Amino acid sequence: MVFNAQTMLVIVAASVFGLFVGAIPGLTATMAVALLVPITFYMDATPAIAAIVATSAMAIFAGDIPGTYLNIPGTPASAAYVGESYRLAQKGRARETLGTNLVCSVIGGLFGTLVLVFVSPSLAEMALNFSSFEYFWLALLGLSSSIFIAIGSRVKAFLSLTVGLLLSTVGLDMMSGAPRFTFGVPDLMAGVNFIPVMIGMFALNEIMMFYGSRAEARSVPVMTKDSVFSMAPRHVRTYWRNILRGSSLGTLIGALPGAGADIAAWIAYAMGKSRSKEKEKYGTGHIEGIVDASSANNSGISGAWVPALVFGIPGDTITAIVIGVLYMKGMNPGPTIFMNGGGQVYALFTVFFVANLIMLPLGYLAIRASKVFILTPRKMLMPLILSFCIVGAFAINNSITDIWIMLIIGLVAFVLARNDFPMAPAILGLVLGGTLENSFMSSMLKSNGDLLAFFERPISAALGALVILIWVLPSLIRLFRHWRRPSQPDHTPRSS
Amino acid sequence: MRDFLLGLAFAIGGGVVIAVAQTYPTMAALQFGPSLFPSLIGGGMVIGGLVLALTRVRQFKSALAGPRSQANRYDYRSLLISLVPCALIVFYIVASEFLGAPLCMALSMLVLMLIRGAKLWLSLIVSIVIAVAIYLLFSRYLLIPLPEGTLLSQILP
Repeated sequence: MVFNAQTMLVIVAASVFGLFVGAIPGLTATMAVALLVPITFYMDATPAIAAIVATSAMAIFAGDIPGTYLNIPGTPASAAYVGESYRLAQKGRARETLGTNLVCSVIGGLFGTLVLVFVSPSLAEMALNFSSFEYFWLALLGLSSSIFIAIGSRVKAFLSLTVGLLLSTVGLDMMSGAPRFTFGVPDLMAGVNFIPVMIGMFALNEIMMFYGSRAEARSVPVMTKDSVFSMAPRHVRTYWRNILRGSSLGTLIGALPGAGADIAAWIAYAMGKSRSKEKEKYGTGHIEGIVDASSANNSGISGAWVPALVFGIPGDTITAIVIGVLYMKGMNPGPTIFMNGGGQVYALFTVFFVANLIMLPLGYLAIRASKVFILTPRKMLMPLILSFCIVGAFAINNSITDIWIMLIIGLVAFVLARNDFPMAPAILGLVLGGTLENSFMSSMLKSNGDLLAFFERPISAALGALVILIWVLPSLIRLFRHWRRPSQPDHTPRSS
Repeated sequence: MRDFLLGLAFAIGGGVVIAVAQTYPTMAALQFGPSLFPSLIGGGMVIGGLVLALTRVRQFKSALAGPRSQANRYDYRSLLISLVPCALIVFYIVASEFLGAPLCMALSMLVLMLIRGAKLWLSLIVSIVIAVAIYLLFSRYLLIPLPEGTLLSQILP
């Protein structure tokens, strides 16, 4: 069903399409899949699913290319580690970074596929056990991590987070339906979309920095010895634990309904940093930070298919579209899919393996071709990116309001970034703000306002304890050091 | 000094957020209204902003007392140039309905290229070709309804 000329051709064409869309800032993997849907009407079930799988996997990887060369993530899933990739590129290691990224993406994708094949039913059951209490703690865990992994002032990271959280409250309140911070603009009723904010924070901010700097010199140098795959095996050997951890975490988070590759990448990056022996190197261009997150975002893509296939519940926005396509092709998602559509399901699994493996040669060619980002003078490249930013922001809802949002957020980000405020907490605040508020409100309604209910369920209690530990641990360590210092004997020799 | 001012801005902004949140209606059936989260966020902004401002008070005082050093002087010309892309986005928003997306994009790109000293003929060719390519790609292939503009609606394919 898979290894025939038509399906293989569809996989290659869809991969190239995914590469193109993923590499343009503002165009997401979800948008690429949405654009494919009308074309899949005319395809059989297997090539239709193959097209979606190949496009999404390739778009997630391709988002790393502009992130590495221009500090502008192509898709939200690359935003978590864009700083690390760009700083490595500035050291002349752009291809090495992208090569490692590609290998980790492939391994992460294959890992997620293996999980999808072997443990999807049990994993989906576990994900379904997550109630609003667990989601609240999970969201708070992600937000807390964003403050503690930030480089520089924690107060500034916290303030940056409040900006993102405030943006997440714009729109109709889920419980009462009351509009908040909409200022009478109908387009704001549905809330602030993540994409224009991301374009404003990363792309417009970068363009403004460029025009304010007067420097034309290439910020990413060309190095002849910078090879795509030469260092990748070494990095994989050194950081195999990180790849395994990132892939597992990515699959697990991807399998949680409503999470997805973006959140998987952020949490994997945070987890990687907290467990690293070289924490101080994070933020200066450290390959370890990329390994965790790039494995996680691609494994998250596969993980999101677990609840989609087994229970018909989308793990992310891509699988929300996929479920529609599955119904259209007569593959009704749910526990019966393994009985009624057994052959189709195993063809789908095979497609996942093929799409992830084909990413290696196509990704390699894309990395080689991406030298255009270095060779093109920035004075010619930046105006082009600005045009893509405008069109990309508009394309989300075909609305001018999104261009205004991009502009305002770009200006705010410019002021904050010039004063050393980290941008990552703001992005994570916007991504997780809705989940945090909605799960808190639902939980409080369920428990009649009893806060202790947040600790009554075992997983919820464990996650809650972890969050409290994250907040309390730095103070405890400081207190412990303060307590130990006077008791230490003075070994310094006295001068006579 | 800038941190002190930003801290104050956050604190004032947080206060405004709390004030606006108090105007949201509360429903009798709900224990927690739509104002809860915005108020908590506003509170966070006030506390965080004040902490940032207070920890920088000494720097602020020394900046006011001492002579302005070369490093503290703000480069207003660079700041103005960095705002040009924003001005061009506003130009696109205002003019694209009349001039059309391709012409607005071409003009914006041309201005940005010339600011950084690119050759006129090269900038002109690149901006026109790229603008037309982006327009065709997005409107014809990706089916995104970019504004054609009343000026060029009869000419464009």
